Amino acid sequence: MGLPGLEFAAAVFTDPTVIGLIVVGTLVGVIVGALPGLSSSMAVALLLPFSLYLDPIPSIAFLAALYCAGTFGGSITAILINAPGAPPAAATAFDGYPMAQKGEAGRALGTATVASVTGGMISVLVLLFAAPLLARVAYSFGPPEYFALAVLGLSMLATISGEARLKNLIGGCLGLLIATVGIDLTTGVDRFTFGVPELLDGIHFIPVLIGLFAVTELLTQAQHLGRKRSVVTLAALKLPSLADIRSVMGTILRSSGIGTFIGILPAEGSTVAAMIGYNEAKRWSPRPETFGSGAIAGVAGPEAANNAATGGAMVPTLALGIPGSATAAVILGGLQVQGLRPGPFLFEEQPALLYGIFFAMLFANALFLVIGLIGAKVFSRLSLVPPALLWPSVLVLCFVGAYGLEQSMVDVWVMIAAGVLGLGLKRYGFAAAPIVMGLVLGGLVETSLAQSMIIFDQQWAGFLGRPIALVFFVLALGGIAGAPALGILRRMLSGADSKNVS
Amino acid sequence: MFQATGSTARLAPGVDRECGRTPARQRLVGAFGLLLACAAAGVGAVHAQEEFPSGPIDIVTHASPGGGTDTTARTILTGAREALGTDVAVIPRTGGGGIVAMSYAAGRPRDGHTVLAITPTHLFAIARGQGPLTIEDLVPVARATDDPLVVTVRSDSAVGDIEDLVALGLERPIKWGSTQVGSIDHVAGAVFAQIAGTELSVVPFAGGGEIVTNLMGGSIDAAGLNLTEALQQIERGEFRALAVMAEERIEALPDTPTTVELGYDVTFSTVRGYVVLRGTAEHEIEILESGLLAGMNHPSYLAYLDGAGLSRSAIAGREVWGAQLEQLYGDARQAMIDLGIIRP
Repeated sequence: MGLPGLEFAAAVFTDPTVIGLIVVGTLVGVIVGALPGLSSSMAVALLLPFSLYLDPIPSIAFLAALYCAGTFGGSITAILINAPGAPPAAATAFDGYPMAQKGEAGRALGTATVASVTGGMISVLVLLFAAPLLARVAYSFGPPEYFALAVLGLSMLATISGEARLKNLIGGCLGLLIATVGIDLTTGVDRFTFGVPELLDGIHFIPVLIGLFAVTELLTQAQHLGRKRSVVTLAALKLPSLADIRSVMGTILRSSGIGTFIGILPAEGSTVAAMIGYNEAKRWSPRPETFGSGAIAGVAGPEAANNAATGGAMVPTLALGIPGSATAAVILGGLQVQGLRPGPFLFEEQPALLYGIFFAMLFANALFLVIGLIGAKVFSRLSLVPPALLWPSVLVLCFVGAYGLEQSMVDVWVMIAAGVLGLGLKRYGFAAAPIVMGLVLGGLVETSLAQSMIIFDQQWAGFLGRPIALVFFVLALGGIAGAPALGILRRMLSGADSKNVS
Repeated sequence: MFQATGSTARLAPGVDRECGRTPARQRLVGAFGLLLACAAAGVGAVHAQEEFPSGPIDIVTHASPGGGTDTTARTILTGAREALGTDVAVIPRTGGGGIVAMSYAAGRPRDGHTVLAITPTHLFAIARGQGPLTIEDLVPVARATDDPLVVTVRSDSAVGDIEDLVALGLERPIKWGSTQVGSIDHVAGAVFAQIAGTELSVVPFAGGGEIVTNLMGGSIDAAGLNLTEALQQIERGEFRALAVMAEERIEALPDTPTTVELGYDVTFSTVRGYVVLRGTAEHEIEILESGLLAGMNHPSYLAYLDGAGLSRSAIAGREVWGAQLEQLYGDARQAMIDLGIIRP
C-alpha cells in the first residue's frame, strides 16, 4: 500500500472502544458544529477532562474525530437556514443557502459532504507523509507573509459577490471597521469599546454572522409572509449527481491544497482558509458571475478548504508542538495531559500514537461521508418546512447560539444589531459576503502590517526582501488589474479590428 | 468527605451524556452520582444552608481554550470534582488582560462557588488601576504552576550569552517578541532593557506559539518565552537559553544561568494560582483549598506538569501562594513605576 504506519492502523481498527469513540466523536462533532454558538474548540475543551480516563490513543482519536466532524457540521446550518454553525462555514452560506432556496438543499449538502471529506482526507494524507517536513513551512511565515496573504484575500473584495463593485468595497470597509473594535494588539489601546468590558476582546464572529445571515433572512422572510410562496418540491432532497461532483472536482482539489497549506500556518485557521478557498473557486470558475446565487463550486470551494485546514492545523501541532488552530491547541493540551510532549521526538518515540491519530482522522472523515450523505436527505427536509414555522424556531436557535458562546448578553445585542443592519444593507443592494470577508481578514491585515513595520524599522522597503510576500502581492495585483487589463487589451484589439473592417 | 447533595444532578446534560458513553467506570460513577443525588434530594434540602459546596463551583479564567491557564484549570477539574463532591466547571471570560474575568467574578456572590484564576497578567492590570478589583480583594486559595520566563534566541544567532544581547541592544534596538502590550513578557523585556540600559523594540504577537515561529523564522532577535513554550526547541538545539528570569536555577535547565546570578535583578514567572474574593467565609476557603490541592495532586495533573516540563514543586497551599501573590504584586507595581506607566 505504501502508506506509512499501516501496521499501527490495526490498533485503531480492531479495538471496539476506539471505533466506538470515533463514531461518538464524529456524531457529537457534527451536532456541535451545526449548532451556532457551540464550537468544536469549546466541545473539545469541555471533553478534555473526561478523556483523561482513557488511554492516549483512544482519547486523542476521540478529540481528533470531533475536531474533523465539527468543521463539517457548520455547513449544514449554513446551507439550510443561512446560519453558519461555526465561522469556517460562513463562506459556505454565500452559495449554499441560495441553492437551498432554489430547492437544491440536498445537492448543496451532498456537495459540501463530498468536498469536506475529500479535503479532510487529502490533508490527513499530507500529514501522514510529510508532517515533520512541512511543519518547517510555518517558520518561513512571519508577519510580512501573513500581511501579503491577507492582502491577496482582500483583493477579491470588489468582485466577491454579484452585486455592484463599489457597494462590495463599501461593505468590505464596514467589515474592516467592525474588526477594529477591541484592544489593538500592537499598541494596547482600546478602540470603539465605549467602556463595555466584553468588547475589549473585539466583536465575536459568531453573533455577527448569525445576525447578518440568519436574522436578516428572518426579517426578509417576515416581509413576504402574506405572499404565496414558491413551492419547494421533494426534488430538494436529491443528492448531487456524479456529473455535479465531477464538475467541481478541480475546485475541491485546489481548495484542499489551499486549505492544507493555510491550516499549517499557526496563526491562521479554517475561517481564512474557507474565505481564500471561496475566492479561488470563483477566480478559476468559467462562470464567476453565478457565484453568490447558488453556484455549486461556491459550496465545494470553501468546504474542501476548511476541512483540509483541520489536517493542516495538526501538522505544526504534532510536529512542532505549536498549535495550528484554537481546537488544535486544546488537543495539544490533551496530549500534554496524557504526559506526552508533541514535537519531532513524538514521531520517533510514539509512532503508534501518531499513526493512531492519523488513522482515526481518516476514519472520522470516512464516517461523516456516510453521515453527511444519509443526513443530507434527512436534513434537507428542513427546507420543506413552511417559513412561518421554520424561521421563528431559527430565531430561538440564533438567540441561544449568540448567548451560549460566552453567556454574554452583549453578544445577543451584537447579533440583533447585525441583523437589523443586514436588513438595511440588503435593501440598498449591499451583499453580506464582502462584510464577512472584511471582518475575517480585518484583524489579520492590520495586525500583521503593524508587526511588519516594527520588524522593518518602519521602512516599507523591507517587504522587498521577503520573496514569499512578494509572490502574494503579485497575485493580488494580477487579481485586481488582470480583468481590466484584459478588457483594455481586447478593446484595443477589437478597435483595431473594426478599423480594419471600415 | 463532603456530602454529594442534589448538585450532582446539575451536571450539564451534554457532559453527562458524554461521560456515560466513555468507559464503564465513568458510567458507574455517573449512575451512582445520580442515585446519590436522588437520595440526597430530600435530606439535602434541610442541610443545604450549611453545607459547602451547595452547588457547582465555577473557575473563572481569562484564557481561551488551549492556553496554559485553560489547560491547567481543566486538568485540575478531574481530581477537584472527586474531592469536592460537586461539579467544577471552567468559565472562560476572555479579554482585556483579565479585566473581563475579574469584572465577572466581582459580580458573583462571594460564597465560595466562584474561584478566580490569577496570573501576573491580572496583577499588572490591577497595578495599573484597571478593572473593579484591588489586590486586597484577592484571597489566596492554592497555586498550580510556576512557569519562569527564559530569555531565548535562535541557536545560530551571533548572540551567545546575555552580555552579547546587551551589546546588541547598545548598537540598535533589540527586536523583542512578546504577547500583548502590558503582558508579563513585555514588562519583563522592558524592565531588563531598562536595567541593562539598552534599547528595546517590542513586537507583540497574539500568543506564545507565534513568538516561537517568528524567533525560528528570524523576524525577531530574542524573546522572553515561558519555559513550557521554549523547552522543546531548547532541547532540540534550535533555541539557545541565555538566562532564566529567576533567582535560582531550574530543574529543566540546570546549565542555564539565572538573571539574578548574572547581576540583573529581574525575575518574572507566569505563576498560575487560584483566589476567591474577600468576604468568602473561612471554612469555605479551607474546603476549596483542600479540594483544589487534591485536584493538583491527582495523577492526571502531575502527568500534565511532567509532560509540559514544569516542576511539581509549584503545587502549594494558600500560605505559600499568598506570600508569593503579595510579592508578585509588589514586583508588578514596581515594574509599572520603573517604566513610568503609573506614579508611585
